[in-house]
Amino acid sequence: MDEPTLDAIIARYDDPAGRLLGILGEIQDEEGYIPRESLAMLAEKLDVRLSQLYSLTTFYSYFSLTPVGDHVITVCMGTACHVKGAPGILEALEGMLGIKSDTSEDGKFSITTDDKKFTLEIARCFGACSMAPVLRIDGNLYGYATREDLPAILAEYGWEP
Amino acid sequence: MTRKEASSTGGAKKQVTVTINGKKYPADEGEILLGVAVREKIAIPHLCYEPSLDPYGACRLCMVEVIKDGKREMTTSCTLRAAEGLEVVTDTPAIVKYRNVLFELYLAEAPKSEVIKEMAARYGVTKTRFLKKLDTTDSLGNKCVLCGLCVRACNEIMGAGAIGFVNRGPYTVVNTPYFEPTKDCFGCGACAKVCPTKAVEFEDRGSERVMTSWSGTKVPLARCDCCGGYYAPKALAISTLAHITPSLREEIAALCPVCRGRRIARDEILAGRGGGAGSHG
Ligand code: SF4
Ligand code: FES
Ligand code: FES
Repeated sequence: MDEPTLDAIIARYDDPAGRLLGILGEIQDEEGYIPRESLAMLAEKLDVRLSQLYSLTTFYSYFSLTPVGDHVITVCMGTACHVKGAPGILEALEGMLGIKSDTSEDGKFSITTDDKKFTLEIARCFGACSMAPVLRIDGNLYGYATREDLPAILAEYGWEP
Repeated sequence: MTRKEASSTGGAKKQVTVTINGKKYPADEGEILLGVAVREKIAIPHLCYEPSLDPYGACRLCMVEVIKDGKREMTTSCTLRAAEGLEVVTDTPAIVKYRNVLFELYLAEAPKSEVIKEMAARYGVTKTRFLKKLDTTDSLGNKCVLCGLCVRACNEIMGAGAIGFVNRGPYTVVNTPYFEPTKDCFGCGACAKVCPTKAVEFEDRGSERVMTSWSGTKVPLARCDCCGGYYAPKALAISTLAHITPSLREEIAALCPVCRGRRIARDEILAGRGGGAGSHG
């Protein structure tokens, strides 16, 4: 992210409360992840320590410090979704995308396909439990998901069997 | 002169009497109760109490029961302030039960910590039912209890902010951003000093201090002009010198504390002799 873009984001937050998370969120929206240079630049501009920003970004599963694919698929593994079959959905997605997931050392779960088209992540409860199991692709929510629905849903994002 | 009279002079704090396990003790009003207990040699186990930082209550080991209006309430003594008539008891069955579970948790969280092992053993806890966290790559040697004292000392006392909590839940660790050497570290070692489990390690290797626990961050050391020894992190030596008023004479500013003391003593002696000789001449 270039400096003017970051400056423009920062300028939208005149109130210090919630500023860091807001700005980090916008950086992520813009870039798909939080680039290292952006975090360093932000620390300098706001006069906060990099250690503090790094703590925040590693704490929230929402933030990603590594580049993600063109489309991010997030499977809810919250209690309700779990009970309603989310593990099966996740497993099916792994099969379709040809990736095998594992929790990484930071405790986050995020893997990207070799062709950088898709990133598969998990989250804990979207707050849409009534539609469990739920998945989200690039901000679009899909409720009552079944394994059978998945090919059609993914096809919308350019997935081919 | 009693404590009370002494306190009435010089704007000292008001004195109060607190009762611990049925015995009365004097204290400053508002003083941390755990501090009173430590001074009076009453054993209350604690890990995260650090007088130079604001009370935080992270480790939960220092539990006592406060007796008020015949009711008892468990609370951490490191966040409890002395007030007239405050009465607490330590080691009640409820506290013992609570604390023993905590010891078990700490034995699992920091299985390599001798401090924890000894402390727990003192209270009869030598085994844990929980899964021990053993990670051979842990830069804190599986001794960290995540109390946060090092992070706070680095931030609040030193203003360096070189380290922080990273990740969350069972994956939480303390380290530098991106697990890489950081320029924000002065190499002061305050983190190691406050760490209750002696988890933080660093080492002076020749002209450098290596913060082994903090991703191998290296900090240059200042060299004494006289003996040639390395005595303190350079940045700290410079900033400390800048704070001294009146400032040190240039010849002694670049010396280690030992050589500095010697030089001052020698100069004094020489000056004395010189004066004596002068009076004769
Ligand atoms: S390294 Fe020591 S001071 Fe820092 S959080 Fe761990 S136990 Fe506490
Ligand atoms: S558990 Fe999945 S939306 Fe709540
Ligand atoms: S010393 Fe009181 S909670 Fe840690």
